[in-house]
Amino acid sequence: MSYLGQQLVNGLTLGGVYALIALGYTLVYGVLQILNFAHGDVYMVGAFIGFFVMVGLGGPLKPSVPVAVMILIMFLVAMLGTGLLGIVIERFAYRPLRNSTRIAPLISALGVSILLQNAALLLFSANIRSYDTSSYISSTLGFSFADITIDGVRLFVLVLSIALMFGLARWVNGTQVGRAMRAIAYDRDAAVMMGIDVDKVIRWTFFVSAALAGAAGVMNGLLLRGVSNGMGLVPGLKGFTAAVVGGIGSIPGAMLGGLLLGVVESLAQGYLSTNFSDTITFALLIVVMLLKPNGLLGKRAIVKA
Amino acid sequence: MKKTTRLGVVAASAALVVSGLTTVATPATAASCSGTIAIIAPLTGGVAFIGKEQQGFAQLAVADYNAKNGTSFNTKDYDTQLDAAQASTQAPNIVANKDVLGAMGPAGSQEVLAIGGLLGANNIALVSPSATRTNLTAGTFPNFYRPIPNDGLQGPGDATYMAKTLKAKEVVVIEEKTAYGTGLAKEVVATLKTLKVKVTNIAVNEKNADYAAVVTRVSKTTNFVFVTFQDAAKSEQVAQELIKQKKKAVVFGSDGSDQPTFKTPGTLVSAFAPDVTGLPVAAAVVAAYKSTYKAEVTTFGPPAYVAAQVIVEAAGRACAAGKPNDRAAVLAEIAKTNIKQTIMGNALSFTANGDVKGGRFYIFKTQADGKRKLVA
Repeated sequence: MSYLGQQLVNGLTLGGVYALIALGYTLVYGVLQILNFAHGDVYMVGAFIGFFVMVGLGGPLKPSVPVAVMILIMFLVAMLGTGLLGIVIERFAYRPLRNSTRIAPLISALGVSILLQNAALLLFSANIRSYDTSSYISSTLGFSFADITIDGVRLFVLVLSIALMFGLARWVNGTQVGRAMRAIAYDRDAAVMMGIDVDKVIRWTFFVSAALAGAAGVMNGLLLRGVSNGMGLVPGLKGFTAAVVGGIGSIPGAMLGGLLLGVVESLAQGYLSTNFSDTITFALLIVVMLLKPNGLLGKRAIVKA
Repeated sequence: MKKTTRLGVVAASAALVVSGLTTVATPATAASCSGTIAIIAPLTGGVAFIGKEQQGFAQLAVADYNAKNGTSFNTKDYDTQLDAAQASTQAPNIVANKDVLGAMGPAGSQEVLAIGGLLGANNIALVSPSATRTNLTAGTFPNFYRPIPNDGLQGPGDATYMAKTLKAKEVVVIEEKTAYGTGLAKEVVATLKTLKVKVTNIAVNEKNADYAAVVTRVSKTTNFVFVTFQDAAKSEQVAQELIKQKKKAVVFGSDGSDQPTFKTPGTLVSAFAPDVTGLPVAAAVVAAYKSTYKAEVTTFGPPAYVAAQVIVEAAGRACAAGKPNDRAAVLAEIAKTNIKQTIMGNALSFTANGDVKGGRFYIFKTQADGKRKLVA
């Protein structure tokens, strides 16, 4: 039982990161009906920003500020930086193609993805950078219950990812921009006629979705340590899959899809095969899609009816 | 003829004779000796830090040879990203480049498997500084050489050290599903079983990023987790995850983990090369590398220097023998390699299969201050 419990803890933590990435996909798709395949690379940029902020604050061995403050600044700067990057991507890669064919923004997204990966290669080199988390957060920090251990970093990542998800849900439902976002998702033409500044709302959408990816990137760095220019590809694909399984365009669906993906992956590794865990995970997800083509919570989506 | 004129002719004739003798004795000094040493390495991608170091050391080896002998050999880079498919796309480019006389690399065993045949068919020697899979020198690739020992020494050596010296009773082997990881894991598992150690083999995908689920599978009675990653950050993650999940097992990394990022105190790592930074014979090269590339020296760089040295010296000898730009002649000369002392401190010659004669692995233990100490 403790074995199952430990694998669930592992899976939920990983799933939290996937869910944050999935939310970015779902927000952009909900408003613009485009698949932002550069999203995984925005996540990579967020991880790098967090890393360089850490280095700027004295590095993992001798931080010049308290560790909690350092981590807070890492998250804030990474989210702000990736948020602004999201706005730039929207302005130059998607807005000119807004009234183009459906395939054009997709190709543009792939181009941005390759551009970001190679820009990171040029700027930061191909070296794998390490957050070296154990230097400032002890690996023995955490607690055990019934032989299930949850360490400090995992607990922090899990709690923060859930907090960000619920924060996003409140923002979408409780703010003027959030309501405008839902209105555009429902009927863009009507929203324009009602005086909603579509460009401004789309900018906000990209800012928020990219900021979430930035937060996920820092979480990845804290949790798995390694950061490199190619790190966004697989998590990006998994985040996209989570969004589709949950019902793309649906915020609760993205959360559920991400957590489910993480748990299934962890259980597949724990009980079936570590080597083929991705195969098992994606096979199961195909089954889900066959049974629920709109995703698990697709009916509740904020997509255009 | 005036006496001075006669003397001049004699002197000129003598100079010509001496010049001719010099040409015969050390003909590699001829500026006409030129050609390209291909550097096949992971210059981008997740383990580019390995490729960059190999590239730097290989370039230094060729530059050193040119400086000493007045030759004009050069290098050309071929990036493989440590990926067999990427290596396969580069192989035809290497073959098509008529200036290429031999190749330093590739870094990984899977890449040798992918391109060794094509390059061999075109008489291009591969001298790899880090491909350790045992069967690469089983006869399939007569053009393949390596100045480092193979996993036939590493796997059994590491397993024997765990079982006999460290008295391990239970070991988990994490086998990364690559040509390197699978071959090495097979050697380790077989030796541990022979030595009556309980072994659990866990195969993992190369793309896997989170090893928490894998560590959960490690029992609390396990003494060692032997990892076959080619990315030391993964080995470090496993070591830290074991601490987090309150398991006593110690991580033992193969040479793929021999990087500064794998630094948890108490962990062990085997390496195919010694730490050359303290060797007088390597001092000049180490200093040149640090000043030129502004990077630290690990165990991946020096074998690349030796590998490139083997090729460029063979190319020089072939040129001196009147066969410049002749790949087959260079390949034949590589087999005759006999370096009295390399920058790794050893003498170097090859067996008929292309393995280094008298090779050995080194086992290091990470100390509390993060530094490594040679233990075997």
